[in-house]
Amino acid sequence: MNENDNNFAELKQLLKLKRHEVPPPGYFDHFASDVTSRIRAGEAGGQRTFTERLEAEAPWAVSFLRIFETRPGVIGAFATCVCLLLVSVVVHSSRADKAARLAMSIPSSTSVAGSPMASMTAPALVAASDSSGIVASTNPVTSLEPVSTLFAQPGSGSLFQPAGFGVPAH
Amino acid sequence: MSMIMSEPVPIQDANTPAGMLEGDLVKRARRGDLAAYDELVQRYQQRIYATVYHMTANHEDANDIAQESFIKAFQALKSFRGGSSFYTWLYRIAVNKTINFLKQRKNKNHFSLNDIDFNAENDPDLVALTSDKTPFRAVGLTELQKKLNEALMKLSEPHRMVVVLHDVQGQSHDEIAEIMDCNIGTVRSRLFYARQQLQGYLAEYAKPA
Repeated sequence: MNENDNNFAELKQLLKLKRHEVPPPGYFDHFASDVTSRIRAGEAGGQRTFTERLEAEAPWAVSFLRIFETRPGVIGAFATCVCLLLVSVVVHSSRADKAARLAMSIPSSTSVAGSPMASMTAPALVAASDSSGIVASTNPVTSLEPVSTLFAQPGSGSLFQPAGFGVPAH
Repeated sequence: MSMIMSEPVPIQDANTPAGMLEGDLVKRARRGDLAAYDELVQRYQQRIYATVYHMTANHEDANDIAQESFIKAFQALKSFRGGSSFYTWLYRIAVNKTINFLKQRKNKNHFSLNDIDFNAENDPDLVALTSDKTPFRAVGLTELQKKLNEALMKLSEPHRMVVVLHDVQGQSHDEIAEIMDCNIGTVRSRLFYARQQLQGYLAEYAKPA
């Protein structure tokens, strides 16, 4: 190592020049007081900025945000991902809503078989219908057109619509 | 007959921050005593500033980083376990802050060099270096300062740091290893490589004997 030191003797002499680079006169007179006043200012009421607090309490969040600062492409990719996620959530929720409506219709139609209405004969059903002669149906599409069926009472003028007992395919 | 007048040495009271040992000051500062911390700052401000300045070659940046290092050290004092000296721990904070700053700044070097003090012209090493017999004869100290800083800025941060701490600040290999959190072998090899590089950059001026 001494031999190496001798090889660099002139360089080491030159580096001594750096020791003579000094800040302006009086610079250190206020340095310590500047530091302590900055510390006091920071303590005086939690005046740390949001970023400083975040850096102290959740450094992972700060480093995550810094990724976006340095790479604009990542911001675009992240925004696209968020939009896609939002759209897929909306689509999924609307599908789920439809499925829920269908599921609601299944028990009402199947329960008809065991209901007192199922055991009624057609004339009884007609009798049970309201005065307008419209029979409540489990079919969501209600037709008010007169239907000619075997059960239609001639001359009664009542409207009759058969109940749908078909189970919808899932 | 001339009399050598020396400045009177102030007697320091052990109960005032100025007369306290480093350990006591650290204990008081940990309890939030800013007067004690002020004394610690005064003790190390020049060395911390100089290290940061030699790394950045910019007075304003050095001022900001040195102040922030002291502030961060105060905020983190509770986590200081005393495994190393406060001085080494403080140095480590300043070194890390400086290296992070330089990484963010990347290659955008903006020099704001301090002036060379009057003593430089009387420094025997520098006088010898700029005498007629050396390659430096044609170059003034200010020009030499600029060339030296340019060459230093070409080194990587860890290599520059080792040169600054050892050849400029006069720290031992052990201290540098502790500050930079590496082993002594790494410090020695970095120093050797950095000096070689510097010699190459300054080949026009600094030729091996």
